[in-house]
Amino acid sequence: MYLEHDQLVADKNRPVPRARLGRGDSAGLWGLRVFVVVMGVLVIYTFIAQLGH
Amino acid sequence: MTPARGGPPIAEPAFEAVGIDGLGPGSLTQEDLVRSGDRFRVHKARHGRRRWYLLWLLVGPGILAMLGENDGPSMISYATSGATYGLGFFLPFILVTFAMAVVVQEMCMRVGAVTHRGYGQLVLERYGRLWGWFTASDLVLTNLVTLIAEFVAIRVGLSYFHQGPGVAALLGVVLVMFTMSGGRYWRWERIVLGLAIFNGLFLVAAIMTGPNWGAVGHATTTFLPFPHGSLKTLLLLVVSTIGATVTPWMIFFQQSASADKGMTPADVRHGRIDTVLGGIMAAVFGCGALIAGAALAGHGGSSISGLSGAGFPGALKDVSGNAVGTVFALGLIEAGAVAVLTISASTGYAVGECVGAPHSLNNSTRGAALFYGANLGAAMIAAAIILIPGAPLLSIALNANVLATVLLPVTLVFMIMLANDRELMGRWANSVLNNQVAIAIVGFISLCGAAYAIDAFLQTVGVI
Repeated sequence: MYLEHDQLVADKNRPVPRARLGRGDSAGLWGLRVFVVVMGVLVIYTFIAQLGH
Repeated sequence: MTPARGGPPIAEPAFEAVGIDGLGPGSLTQEDLVRSGDRFRVHKARHGRRRWYLLWLLVGPGILAMLGENDGPSMISYATSGATYGLGFFLPFILVTFAMAVVVQEMCMRVGAVTHRGYGQLVLERYGRLWGWFTASDLVLTNLVTLIAEFVAIRVGLSYFHQGPGVAALLGVVLVMFTMSGGRYWRWERIVLGLAIFNGLFLVAAIMTGPNWGAVGHATTTFLPFPHGSLKTLLLLVVSTIGATVTPWMIFFQQSASADKGMTPADVRHGRIDTVLGGIMAAVFGCGALIAGAALAGHGGSSISGLSGAGFPGALKDVSGNAVGTVFALGLIEAGAVAVLTISASTGYAVGECVGAPHSLNNSTRGAALFYGANLGAAMIAAAIILIPGAPLLSIALNANVLATVLLPVTLVFMIMLANDRELMGRWANSVLNNQVAIAIVGFISLCGAAYAIDAFLQTVGVI
């Protein structure tokens, strides 16, 4: 076999542990959530409004 | 999963036989055996010092991600910029956006080669199911929309040869089925690479229009003349150009394909060459589409509706001759077809990774039914939609790149976080300079996407 141990399917199916996030990281991800929701709503609304015309 | 890779890159012993005895006879899958065969050839080429053969074996994911993104809508978008504004700002801007794409895609390749896992799987496992499913759902949605636009591009190209949408739909679906058959990543990659080279037809078309090379050089070095028009139009073109070069599917695709190909940290240098080579080719061919489109500036080019009838190929035929129109039409068919193959593959990877089902082109259709099903299903849904009479294809195609750009910051932020994750990446984690450039790119893309989304929304509700 010419594969590394962690290239094997059996090993790749083993989940990696959850990341330990600091306060800054968590706050950044919350900011990202807000950004995504706001932008998503704007784009989808605009798209649907364009379809109506 | 082998944790933190703090040690040196793979040396000789790492390629020695994996402890089959320790794993037990049932631990090795067909996928392992097929991938091991590919790695054996890499091993022989590396130790036989066959440098060019080694490069040939290791290139693929980078070139495919880059040329796959030189897709139908992107090339029509570049040609539209050329036909509307002539040679100017957007010519060097294409080069800048591909430079950004190279920085992002290099991170994907590195994370895939070091962790041997796809983007969707890592986000889900490291940052939770919410983000994992969000990124995958975002990808599947934007991929479906983009796939529709790819089939439209194939249809535009084929209509030049008097073929209807049914032929376009059939061609795309048959190509997906044909390339997936065989149960080998290597076979799939080489067939798609063979097709992707024909993206160079856009450069051929540009040369055949006989452009003013002095004006090309001037525009490339000065970013001038700067486009005139409303802020919204300019933002739309900037966002569309960004959306035509840095997209979520490329990130999913290159990381998953690098892992599926069996790349290791020892291959990172070749992975970088692959990515840069793909970026250069895509930028040159993209500029080719813009230069070809610029032949129509002053000939009513700005009024061409690129997604109806024969669009650009027909207009180029009128202005520069039948040969140019034919080459451009063939280029559109190629661009759409290659993108259908790579984008549907990225859909399959994302679905398989998030569900936890087998997701490899090295697996059989029976062994990875969900992966192949999602791959083919995405292509079939998009093909079916272009057959619906009166479907708002133009609106769908125009909004595909914008939607992808607006949601791109999420994908990019997680990409940077993964590339900085020292538990996963060890000494292969991002450098300080790498992070500064990557963060600047995310900031720029977020700003452009948000500015366009807000501007378009305010105009829609009649505030401005």
